[in-house]
Amino acid sequence: MKNKFLYRSLPAALLLLWLCVQSAGAQTPIDAILMPKGGLCIGIFYTQDNWNEYWEGTLKRDNGNVGVLKRQTVLPMVAFGLTDRINVLAALPWVRTHATAGQIRGASGLQDWGVWVKAEVLKAEHLSLQAALGATGPASNYLPDYFPLNLGLGNVEGTARAIAQYRLDNGVYTRLQAGYHLRGNTTIERNYYYTTQGYYSDQVDMPNAVTYSFAIGRWMNDDAFKAEIIYDGLHTTGGHDIRRQDVGFPSNRMIFQRLGASLQYYFPPSQKIGLFASGGYVLNGRNVGQSTVLTGGVSYQFN
Amino acid sequence: MKNIIRSILFTVCAWTAFQSCEKDIPTRKHFDLYAFSGEDPTGGAWKPVLLTDPSQIPLPAPEAVNSAAYQAELANVKSASAQLSGEQEEAIAYWGNNGIVRWNEIARELAAKYNMAPAPNPDGSYPGPNAANPGQYPLFPFAHPPYASRMYAYWGAAQFDALIATWHYKHQFNRPAPYKTDASIQTHLPQTELPSYPSDGAVVASVSEAILTAMFPLEKDFLMEKAREHRQTQLWAGMNVLSDIIAGDSLGRAVAAVFLARAANDGMKNAQAPKPVSDSLANAAQAQWGWHWENLEDPQRPVGVTPLFGRVQPWCIPNVEAVRPGPPPAPGSPDFERDVAELWEISGNLTVRQRQIANFWSDGLGTYTPPGHWNRRASDLIVENRYNPLRSARVYAYLNMAVMDAGISCWDAKYYYHYPRPSQAVPGFTTILGIPNFPSYTSGHSTFSAAAAEVLSHIFPSDRASLEAWAEEAAISRVYGGIHYRFDAEAGLAQGRAVAAYSVTKAQADGAE
Repeated sequence: MKNKFLYRSLPAALLLLWLCVQSAGAQTPIDAILMPKGGLCIGIFYTQDNWNEYWEGTLKRDNGNVGVLKRQTVLPMVAFGLTDRINVLAALPWVRTHATAGQIRGASGLQDWGVWVKAEVLKAEHLSLQAALGATGPASNYLPDYFPLNLGLGNVEGTARAIAQYRLDNGVYTRLQAGYHLRGNTTIERNYYYTTQGYYSDQVDMPNAVTYSFAIGRWMNDDAFKAEIIYDGLHTTGGHDIRRQDVGFPSNRMIFQRLGASLQYYFPPSQKIGLFASGGYVLNGRNVGQSTVLTGGVSYQFN
Repeated sequence: MKNIIRSILFTVCAWTAFQSCEKDIPTRKHFDLYAFSGEDPTGGAWKPVLLTDPSQIPLPAPEAVNSAAYQAELANVKSASAQLSGEQEEAIAYWGNNGIVRWNEIARELAAKYNMAPAPNPDGSYPGPNAANPGQYPLFPFAHPPYASRMYAYWGAAQFDALIATWHYKHQFNRPAPYKTDASIQTHLPQTELPSYPSDGAVVASVSEAILTAMFPLEKDFLMEKAREHRQTQLWAGMNVLSDIIAGDSLGRAVAAVFLARAANDGMKNAQAPKPVSDSLANAAQAQWGWHWENLEDPQRPVGVTPLFGRVQPWCIPNVEAVRPGPPPAPGSPDFERDVAELWEISGNLTVRQRQIANFWSDGLGTYTPPGHWNRRASDLIVENRYNPLRSARVYAYLNMAVMDAGISCWDAKYYYHYPRPSQAVPGFTTILGIPNFPSYTSGHSTFSAAAAEVLSHIFPSDRASLEAWAEEAAISRVYGGIHYRFDAEAGLAQGRAVAAYSVTKAQADGAE
């Protein structure tokens, strides 16, 4: 049994920022990527992530003792414009897990707090380059060694990310992101575990990870409406495969590529309120579930 | 520009520090070399487990210390120990002068590695491991708790007998250690007054290699390499000459063969009964008690883990009936309802502490099993008490004979009473631990742990309180996890203590106390 990788909140946080920025940007040049100084935006997202097949190492399989693994996330977030070029974001997801088969109890609770600083490092007529630094860590004492029903991976993590966006005058844009996730150990509740060898500790050395995405989309209707297609993925830089018929473990080697699409809409005329909906499907993976992910969210921009 | 360089340097340093601290997770117990707290010069007269006499395995008399052959061996040790490579030093530090502790660690590692349940076939059937073709999936063995308990028991008891014979011959031939004959020989392990023929390190290595290879046939090469290194360290460290090691190797193998002959016919090969036999046990329980346990996995596993392990030949108990508890409360009875109410209460209000206890003792698939957990504790006690190899082997022998007997007795009760797990008997009840593939009553963790705690408390009386507390915690951990009723745990503790009493009686009579 293996979990859908617990997607760290950064992409979602950036998503809030896109959502917020557009509202704020209604009064500013249309290629605005960051909120202006003093801008405050709040949002809440709901995500449902289901899978009934997963990859045990490279072997794709189902599991009658899991059935469908359902993960629901409620993600409140806030973004604030420190300056016109530097924004800070914070998020605190609440997660609930449930398996439709088997006798193992689902879990629920706060997952990982996250804070990010995002800065625009270059801005040209059509091009914007940004950098983001983030940190996440467990916000409750959930157990990471509870696959596939664990709320999160339980480790502190630092992320550095670069983002490039290129936008044409007709509203068509592309965006590239790449991030590196430097992960601290996670702590489990037994002091012996076996991965590819035994460890006499409750500490688990977590593999670092790379995440990336490529998006293409278009703003329409005077920037009240946006549609986007996104291809994203994750690749841990180490870790081990789930053994045959074993359960997942936080330090598994996790890989996936996912294809998704999203829509955003801003209520005219002020465009203070934004709506967001997206769907994604994991195309391929390793030691992760083949998730179908649906997200809906709303944001509000204060002046 | 300077600032950029500085910040890059800072990042690199922080990165390095971060990386180095997170790689520091131990893969074995670290302990300093120690001098033995005693050398048990009369240990050769202790009563062995299977050997009828310590001299049952003949060993040729060694060459005299003034012979040319011995002098050549001595020169060889002298030059080898005078110029060690870094690898050799590392190997000596790893094995130390009580390598039996390392072999126990290796046994635990292999138990964890092979403790994987078979995956279902696409048609919903399950394959089983095949000892005749161990490399075909599912790999042989499936080192579940009964298998592991038996592995540790043969390993520990064989070590004990082999070291009794070793002590016997050491003192019979009384060949002094190399450093006693030539004081200029550099030693890299603490010197002792023990005679050196045969080498106790070589005995331990060869017994371990033989027993563990029989138990984990796919690890033959790995074990051969480990044993070879262990034997060599005894020479590199200046503790033994080559003929000490050769004699130890042959003695170790011969004693291991005695134990493996017992193992071949102890009933284990029939323990994983075929479905008709397994079904007949369930039917018998249904007829006698009005209930029977079922595996709830999907697809359902047709046979539980080793239904006939209760018929495997024990070490110390006279028979399983002698320690079989009375029947559990019938489902629906007041005693049953009381313990079910407790399960609901716990599962609805599970504290962090309860969850930690459940997980600390989970010892489920992919781990060294509860018997391994207690072997780890025993190893810690052996090192703390600076035991010599013979006395260490005695701990492992009585501990693991009791633990295997506990497993045999517990498995007898499990399939005799065939009692349903809470998840089967209580509609809608969920757990935080995986549900083991065997009946509920009595609790294996409780039985193993009580037996282990009793034997270890007998040997290490000053640790009795903490050992007993550990056993109680292991027992209740299964209730916290939702996979056992309290009556399973309590009956298991009592059963484990009853089993251990026989082992303790045997220990009291072996001449070592």
